[in-house]
Amino acid sequence: MDGPKHGLSVVPMDAMIQLIHVSKFYARRAALADVTLEIEKGEFVLLMGPSGAGKSTLLRMLVGAERPDEGQIFVQGKNVTKLRQGEVPYLRRKVGSVFQDFRLLTKKSVFDNVALPLIVQGSSPVDIRRKVTEALRAVGVDHKKDQAPSSLSAGEQQRVCIARAIVNGPIVLLADEPTGNLDPERTAEIIELFKLINARGTTVIVATHDPHVMSQVNRRVIALVQGVMVPEQRVGV
Amino acid sequence: MRRLSYLFREAWANMRTNRTTTVVAILTTAFTLACVGIFLLLYVNLRSAAGWLQEDIKIMVYLEDRIGREVAQELENQLKADRMVAGALYITKEQALGEFRAQFPSDSHLLEGLGENPLPASFVVTLAPNFRSPDAVKRWAERVRTISGVAKVDYNQEWIDVLAGLIRYIELAAIGVGIILSAAAVTIIGNTIRLTLFARREEIEILRLIGATRAFIRIPYFLEGAVLGACGSALSLGILKVGFELFRQQIRSAGRFSGIENMLSFFPVSMCLALIAVGMGLGFAGSFVSLRRFAESRT
Repeated sequence: MDGPKHGLSVVPMDAMIQLIHVSKFYARRAALADVTLEIEKGEFVLLMGPSGAGKSTLLRMLVGAERPDEGQIFVQGKNVTKLRQGEVPYLRRKVGSVFQDFRLLTKKSVFDNVALPLIVQGSSPVDIRRKVTEALRAVGVDHKKDQAPSSLSAGEQQRVCIARAIVNGPIVLLADEPTGNLDPERTAEIIELFKLINARGTTVIVATHDPHVMSQVNRRVIALVQGVMVPEQRVGV
Repeated sequence: MRRLSYLFREAWANMRTNRTTTVVAILTTAFTLACVGIFLLLYVNLRSAAGWLQEDIKIMVYLEDRIGREVAQELENQLKADRMVAGALYITKEQALGEFRAQFPSDSHLLEGLGENPLPASFVVTLAPNFRSPDAVKRWAERVRTISGVAKVDYNQEWIDVLAGLIRYIELAAIGVGIILSAAAVTIIGNTIRLTLFARREEIEILRLIGATRAFIRIPYFLEGAVLGACGSALSLGILKVGFELFRQQIRSAGRFSGIENMLSFFPVSMCLALIAVGMGLGFAGSFVSLRRFAESRT
């Protein structure tokens, strides 16, 4: 296992995610500039900032979809920046992703959408049925398992997306503007769902520009402005 | 197992979703491969015709008039001891004259004025099957020509050379046309796969994000390409078979080349299976090219 060797002098044993002097440039413009941070195992973190602040870039780096131009990223002690292309899928199986636009397969049923991560990793049919049913029940859409995603409301589609992200028991859950397409009531429900998932031990990182989400979460906030991290604030516990 | 059935179902779903493109791809591939098939069929039939001619080849070894029966007997022993010779039949001067008269009764008076029989004694030699190639026949004839007492060695070399040359040209044409049209088939199938990839690019992105390996994402498209290639190839064989039978029927009804239609043959089953496998391979190659381009365009 690669350990961080520079930037931070003390590395906590239970650090789930570490970014060490990470920078990313697009056409010479810094999407992220010298970002250093740690997120502990089981934490619930809000990644706040306006559009273009670098939130999505940071999340994409955590799943190996982007590589930093400078610095190092560790997920559960594994140096993500040094992963070979063939190792990236195995990282993504440990990190669930929730998207603003849900990204569900419209031609497949709710059940099949949620089953996909399990099929990809070769789970048995019995396991798939059990885990998908559990995940759908956890997010409250188990009664819609045979329907097409397009027949569901936006809030329900986001629940299906969350079920897909947690179905294989990820160690980290990343959500990029998960409430961007939802009304305040549905937003509150989805945030409650994230809190429940976090309470079961999963590290949750939610990127959002919505200040209402911050007031509902009351947890650690990492703020980014034009790719630069501003001093941290912890809202409540 | 579930993963495997998922991959097959995905490949089938791809083809069903793009039904029109799939059918067009199979048809164009079939006609393209049928063009290659025509040359192959020509090549196969000419080769078997050459084989028959080669098997039937008789070499005439004419002897000098001055040699007697003892020397001819020695020569016969020498020829029969040769490992390249399957059989040697001695034809005396008298037998040769008799055969000439039998074959050309109206011209037999031409020889009467000459007094003495001008036809030489000879051996009709058949070479062993392993030594019937044009080169082997030529080398053997040149060697025998130098033996004392042999006046001339004659065989239908010209025909064999012409046929061998023709086969070489057909072979080259088949290879050339085969390469060009195979590339066309790869492109046709590749474009079909590219359309599918384009239509499903978001799905592919989702699969990537949930941890699907490159192989898992690619296999349905490889399967689709292979199925398109195999179907195109099988259909091309069907088209060729129909065309071949019509051609044979045409010859039979024309009556001018009676017997030839029975000498013509279609590809044997093993070759048909091999051609379907080649079609599969071409489809696979088309998918490979498209997937590589697609991957490059997404990085």
